Formats: sequence, C-alpha cells, structure tokens
Amino acid sequence: MTGQIEQEVKRETGTGTDLWRVIVSPIVWAVHFLFCYVYGAVYCAKAGRDASLAGPTVIIIGATVVALVLIGLSTLHLWKVRGRSLTDDDFEYEHNTPEERHRFLSHVALMLCVLSAVAVLYVAIPMLYLTSCR
Amino acid sequence: MSDDKVEELAQLERTWARPTGWRYWSDVNNSTVGLWYIATAFAFMLFAGALALIIRLQLAVPENNLVSAETYNQVFTLHGTVMMFLFAVPIFEAVAILILPAMLGARDLPFPRLSAFGFWCFLIGGVFVSSSIFFGQAPDAGWFMYPPLSTEQSGIGADVWLLGLTFIEVASIAAAVELIVGVLKCRAPGMHINLTPLYGWYVLIVGAMILFAFPPLIAGDLLFELERLLDWPFFDVTRGGDPILWQHLFWIFGHPEVYIIFLPAIALLAMIVPTFAQRPIAGYSWIVLSALGTGFLSFGLWVHHMFTTGLPSISLGFFSAASEAVAIPTGIQIFAFIATVMLGTVIRSVPMLYCLGALAIFIVGGLTGVMVAVAPFDFQAHDTYVIVAHLHYVLIGGMLFPVMAGVQYYYPFAMGKTLSRNLGIWSFWLMFFGFNVAFLPMHLTGLLGMPRRVFTYGADMGWSWLNLVSTIGAFVFAAGFLVFAWDCVRPKRQQPYVKRNVWNAGTLEWASPVPAPSYGMRSVPTIGSRYPLWDDKDLLPTLDEGRGLLADAREGKRETLVTSVLDARPIQVLRVGAPTWLPMIAAVGLGALFIFSTYKLWWPTAAGGVVFLVAVLRWLWTGAAVIPEKETKDAGGGLELPLYVSGVRSTGWWAMFITMTGDLTAFLSLIFGYFFFWTVHPEFPPIGIDGPGWVWPMVSAAFALGAWGATVAARELNAADRVPLARLALVGGLVSAVLSGAALVAGPVTTGLDPTTNSYPAIVWALVVWIVLHLATGMLMQGYCLARSIYGKMTPRYDADIRNVALYWHFMGFSALLTSLVIGGFPLLA
Repeated sequence: MTGQIEQEVKRETGTGTDLWRVIVSPIVWAVHFLFCYVYGAVYCAKAGRDASLAGPTVIIIGATVVALVLIGLSTLHLWKVRGRSLTDDDFEYEHNTPEERHRFLSHVALMLCVLSAVAVLYVAIPMLYLTSCR
Repeated sequence: MSDDKVEELAQLERTWARPTGWRYWSDVNNSTVGLWYIATAFAFMLFAGALALIIRLQLAVPENNLVSAETYNQVFTLHGTVMMFLFAVPIFEAVAILILPAMLGARDLPFPRLSAFGFWCFLIGGVFVSSSIFFGQAPDAGWFMYPPLSTEQSGIGADVWLLGLTFIEVASIAAAVELIVGVLKCRAPGMHINLTPLYGWYVLIVGAMILFAFPPLIAGDLLFELERLLDWPFFDVTRGGDPILWQHLFWIFGHPEVYIIFLPAIALLAMIVPTFAQRPIAGYSWIVLSALGTGFLSFGLWVHHMFTTGLPSISLGFFSAASEAVAIPTGIQIFAFIATVMLGTVIRSVPMLYCLGALAIFIVGGLTGVMVAVAPFDFQAHDTYVIVAHLHYVLIGGMLFPVMAGVQYYYPFAMGKTLSRNLGIWSFWLMFFGFNVAFLPMHLTGLLGMPRRVFTYGADMGWSWLNLVSTIGAFVFAAGFLVFAWDCVRPKRQQPYVKRNVWNAGTLEWASPVPAPSYGMRSVPTIGSRYPLWDDKDLLPTLDEGRGLLADAREGKRETLVTSVLDARPIQVLRVGAPTWLPMIAAVGLGALFIFSTYKLWWPTAAGGVVFLVAVLRWLWTGAAVIPEKETKDAGGGLELPLYVSGVRSTGWWAMFITMTGDLTAFLSLIFGYFFFWTVHPEFPPIGIDGPGWVWPMVSAAFALGAWGATVAARELNAADRVPLARLALVGGLVSAVLSGAALVAGPVTTGLDPTTNSYPAIVWALVVWIVLHLATGMLMQGYCLARSIYGKMTPRYDADIRNVALYWHFMGFSALLTSLVIGGFPLLA
C-alpha cells in the first residue's frame, strides 16, 4: 500500500478539482433551462397564443450553442486530468491521497459534463418542433 | 489498560452521559434525538396509514356512505399531507441524525441543539396538524391546497395546513444546515471526499436541494396566508391575482421534494447492498455523479404537474424533455445497485429482501413516470387513479421499502438487538403482495376513467371489483406493516445483545461496541479506505485502546473533530452543545406563535414570539462562539488544534451561509411572484394604480447599503483592534437600518398603495414586509454583537459573532437593494 502511494503524484491537500468545479456543468444546464423556460413563457405571455415561434427558436438555439460551448470548455479542461486511478488503472478511485481525490472529482465532473450536455440538448428539442405559442 | 486510560474513559463517559429521569427530555445528543425523531415519524406514518384504510374502506363498494364527502376530503388531504410532510421528509432527517455521525467518525453533529430544536418543532407542528381532524378542522383541499378552492371554500383547515407546515419546514431547513455542515466538515481524518460513504454524499446533495426547494413553498405560504388573513388578492383572479402562481411555487417545491424523499432512501440501499453482497459498491463515482445530476435535473420538472393548466405548449415541451432526461441518472444508480448484487455473493437476509422489493416496485413507478412525463399521455391520465398508482409505486418503492430495509439493517446499530428474521420475512411478503394487489389494479381503474379524490362512485361505472381488490390489498399491506411495527416494539429484554458488527459490514458506523456508548467511538480513527472495517485490521484495536484522536475529554467539554472539506485534514476541535432545555423552549415558543396565530389569538401569539426570541438569544449567548480557556488542545499524538475558529473556516459561518442561501431562495421566489404578475397583467402597473415611486425606494436602498457597509466596517475595525470604533460603526448600522426600513415603507404609503385592491400593490407590500422583517432581524444581530463586545464575549481575537453577522448583512444588503430596484425601478421600464 505504502509503495503504491509513493508512486502517485504528490498533491497539496485542498488543491485541484473541488466541489464547485464539479457542479459547473449542471449549473450551466440549470441556467440554460431557466433561460429557455422564462424566455419562452414571457414571450408567449406578451405576444399572445397565436404568435409565431420563429424568432424565439433562433434565440433558444443560440442559447443552446452557448451552453454547449461552456460545457465543452469545462470538458476540455477536465479532459487533461487522466481519468483513471493512478495506481491500479481502474475507475474505483479508492486511494487515500489528495491526487486520487482530485482524479475522482475530475471524473465525476467530466461525466456530469456529458449528462448536462445531453440534458441541454433534450431541453432544446421541443423548440425545433413547435411553431406557435398555442 | 493503564490507569491513565481508565481515568480517560471514565471522564469521556461522564462528559457524554445521557441525562437521567425527567431530564432525559433535555438531551440533545444525536443518538437520542435521532431515535425520538424516527419513532415520531413512524407514529405519524401509522396515523396516516389508518387514514388510508378509511379511504379504501369508503371506496370498497360503490355508493358507500361510511364517511361523508366532507370527512372524506379531510381524510385524503391529511393522508397525503402527513405522509409527505410528517413522514417522508422527516424520516430522512431522523435517520441521518442517528447514523451519520457514526458513519463519518464524528462524536456528534456540529449543532446538536439545532437538531433537538428541529425535532421539537416537528413534534409540535405535526401533532397540531394531525389532531385537527378530530375537531373536524382538518385541511380538506388536497395536499397541494390549490386556490381558489382552498382560499375561498376551506374553513380553518387551510390555515392549519399553512401555518403547521411552515413551522415544520423550519425544522427541515434546520436539519439541512446541520447535515450539510456535518458531511463537509465533520468527517474522520483521512476520509477524503472520494472515500466518504455514499450515504454522506446523498445527505449532502439532499441537504442542498432542501435549501432551494423548501423556501419557494415558504414564500408561497406567506402569500397564501396574507390572502387568507388580510385579503391580499395574490390568487384572486377578480383582483388581478392568479391561482397558477401558487401552483408554480408549490411545485417548485413539490417536485424536487420527490427526490428529496427518494435520494436519501436509496442512499440506505447504497449502504445495505454492499454489506450483503460482501463487496464494495460497483461504480461509486457513477453513483455520486448520478445523484448530483438527479439533484439538479429534479428542479427542471415542476411544470409536469401542471401540464393541464393551459400553459403554452413550449413550456410543456421544456419540462417534458427535462422529465425524460432525469430518467438517465436515476437509471444509472439503479443499475449500479443491480451490478453490485450481481458481482457479489449475496447473503440472504431480511434487509436485502426489502432492498430487492424496493428496486422491483420503484422500477415500475419509474417507468410509469416516463410515461406520464409525455404531455399527451398526461392529458389523458391527469387526475385519475393512474397517477395515484404511479405516485404510490414511486414513493413506496423509492422510499418506504428502502426505509424499512434501513430499519431492519440499522436496528442492531441503534438498539443492540436484532429484529426477528421470521417476522421480517412475513412482513415483507405481506407488504409486497398487499401493495401490488392494492395498487397494480389502480392503473386500470384510472384508465377506465376513475378520477382522484372522489368520495364515491356509481355501480354502473365498472370500477367496483377493481376497487374492492385494491381495498383487500391495502388491508394485507397494512397487516404486513403491523407485523413489522410489532417486531420493532415487542419487548426484547430476554434477547441477548448482538455481536459487534453483526452484518460484517465495512463502514465505520459498525465499529461501535454493543450496546453503543453515548460518546460514540472511544477515539476518532484515521481512515484510509471506503470500507475501513474490511480493509484495516488494526482499526478496531486502535479505536478501542484510545490510540486515535480525541480519546479524552479532559476539560469535561463535549468535543468533536472538524476536518477540511476535500481531504479531511484535522483543523479544529469543535466544542458542541451539552443537554439543555433551551431548544425545546424555543420550539414551544415558535409553535405557540404559529398555532395561536391560526386562531387569530394575537396576545398568546405575541407571547409565543417573545418566548422564542428570549430562548434563542439565551441559547446563543451562553452556547455559541464561547471563548475557550486556552488557544489550542492536543487532540492526541501531539496534534495541536485550535479550539476557536472564526470566519470562513468555522462551522458557524457555514451554517449562516447555508441558512441565508435558503432565505435568499425564498426572497427570489417573491421576486418571481412580482414578475409573474408582470406577465399576467396586460398593463403593468395596472391602470389607475401608482407604484411606490422611485424616490423612497432609492433612499431606502442607500440606507440599507449604509447599514451593510457599517456592519462590514465594524468587522474590520474590530479585527484591527479598534474596538470603540467598531462599536460606533455598529450603532451607525443600527440607525441606518431603521431609516432604511422607514423609507421603504414610506414609498407605498405616500402613494397610497392599498394591498387589498389588486395583486400588484399586494406583491409590492409583500416584498416590503419581507425586507422590513429581515432588517429587524439584522438589527437584532447588530445589537447582539454590540452587547457581546461590551460584555467581553466578542474580542478582536474571538470575533466569530461579527463575522457571521457581516455575512448575514451581505445577503441583507443584496436583498434590500434588489427590492428597491424592482419595486422602484421596474415600473419605469415596464
């Protein structure tokens, strides 16, 4: 056990990926979602039920692209952290070092980027099919 | 054992001794309060279960007249309300308070008195709400209290619901504060966040969800009660209100609440399954990320309860999409549990039986959930028994069965005895069979058109035999639960204590000896793995011989270790509260305030408020941020740790931050209400009604910023050893806060805004009232710091009070500024 730990990269405690970093991509999802909903609801409340959604569709697609770019940037940053556990080349992340914790949180954050991107796309899909505020 | 160690242990026992005799009820230790909490929650559950049986008896045959329509309305409303608010959510808090400290290697949670306060609030509020039915005064408009039915037709029942539950929500937020800080700061040394038991992760996520989910309901309750009490027309269409606003605020709470119930329950599965599979959980990191993802996505689902309210289809689309997306992380968690079972060698046991039953039932509920998340299907199924079936499959599979698995599993941990295996198997199969017989046919009953909440139906509808089958199933289910309840309460004096770590589990809570001592562990171990009892053979001897940290209580004070958030490095020895009556007295005062105001008895209400305030102030004055007799303490092995920490590294600062995050959410919900009215009114402000003008709100904002700045200045001056100037700044802050409140009220008063005429003046006034109440609280805090400084309880070195109060004022200043900008500035733009 000790020998293995010595092979690991030394990391200062408390540095590297932290909990705030982990929730960046879900926060992007949340902001995107709220924007889509609030924008759509206010638009339809003010423009009336017969209004066309052509304009809002463009804006929501734009917002979706922005959200995906932000999540993509987060992904790129996390991609640089090698995903696997250093000592036994698996996804268990069960060693008691700051480096392992850093890798663990990076892995969690990375997979949350994927989940958030999928959820952002899900939310954007209805906009592609609907044409009016009915 | 050497003499030193014998004396050390005796001192530890004295320090953590449970109060005896009638003083037992003043205890605040997590192991005692957790048991009270669990027992109370199950008592409410039995009560609500009895109500369910009345419902099923009434519906067993067509044209039944067992209960009247009025009573039936009260019965089903109370059934839903009690199950959700008095069982499902509190049982999470209860179980977490009981098991979390042991699991993390802490002696207690960081704020034990807060847990006790939460428990007493829960007990008082719960008894108040539940007992209303015996006086025919129970709420009767459904557990979600939709206006206008609830505002215009309900009797006092609606007030009982609103005030009783608001009171209990206070307990939930108190528990959230306690548990979040507990998981982040009170883990054993070495327990890096990637080694934290999954239960801890779930508790952290759910605690955070409570902060964003419960406050919108508190804001909604405030508006609702203002309408019922003072006739402010937030939900009255004839005066520019809109009942949909209530639905939004209720479901912004209500849907995340489903996950607030579900996640901690399957967190129990995440602890139980590895034990009986005798291997580590498969996909630890995947479960963590899925739980996090579920926590976020669950906030994008609330409108799927409102698919039939006539919202634009684009709104439905967004929420339908998010509702489908949440199935992904939920599914990952379920697959990880199944994978763990498949990879391990499963030991047959009663807790495992309940786990598997839970998974089976929950998967059915989850799949019907995917169906009703599709808007067109929901249009058909809405408000029918399909929904009743769906929600019971979700809640019983996702919450009740896992909790029962948890009780079966943790009973030896809490009581030192096991439950009967035979009775457990009997209760499981009765409940599993009974549940499916009761609820599976309801899918069909609903598709045949039976609506929810009807008190009877005609024989010609074709629902008769299905309902009869459901009723039979419900009684079988109830029989199973009674077997379980009997097993829990039957006398076990003859039964020997179980051996230590009876299930051969790997996590730290099972390291405790049997019966468990009140101080928890003999000493705090250093953790190096996720399953220390499996991996570290030296752990138990190290613990028992007191060779870990904090093995003594030399000063006779209750202490627990505080560690850093990510890597769990020891940073402080935290002194935690000893038994006291103050939390109970504070809860009684707050309870009186809520209960008497329901009946508009204003003098007793005021008296309750005074009792609450005095108790809380005394509690803080004598128990919070106490200056220690020395700077540091040897925690063992030469590790010198500080006894007093202030600012961002202290637990108190985080508690304030977390509380104020919840408070800010409630405030933003009111702001949401303001803009909601902007969207529903064709003209805003409505024609003929002047806003509060911009002058007074801006004056108010200026004074609020002044008070904020003065408080921050007081913090800095105090830290710089310029105590007289700091006190002066506090006085200046107090004066500025008074002026800010007065100016804010002057706005709507001078322009003659009457809150009863229209929803627009009403929401402006609601925001003003909110800010004024918060300013008053902020002034109380400034005054408190002033007094602490004068009495020498707050010094330049020991300044936790002023740091926490300055943090409050960051939120206060922001809220006041935003309010002034919105009520003063927005009418100029709109």
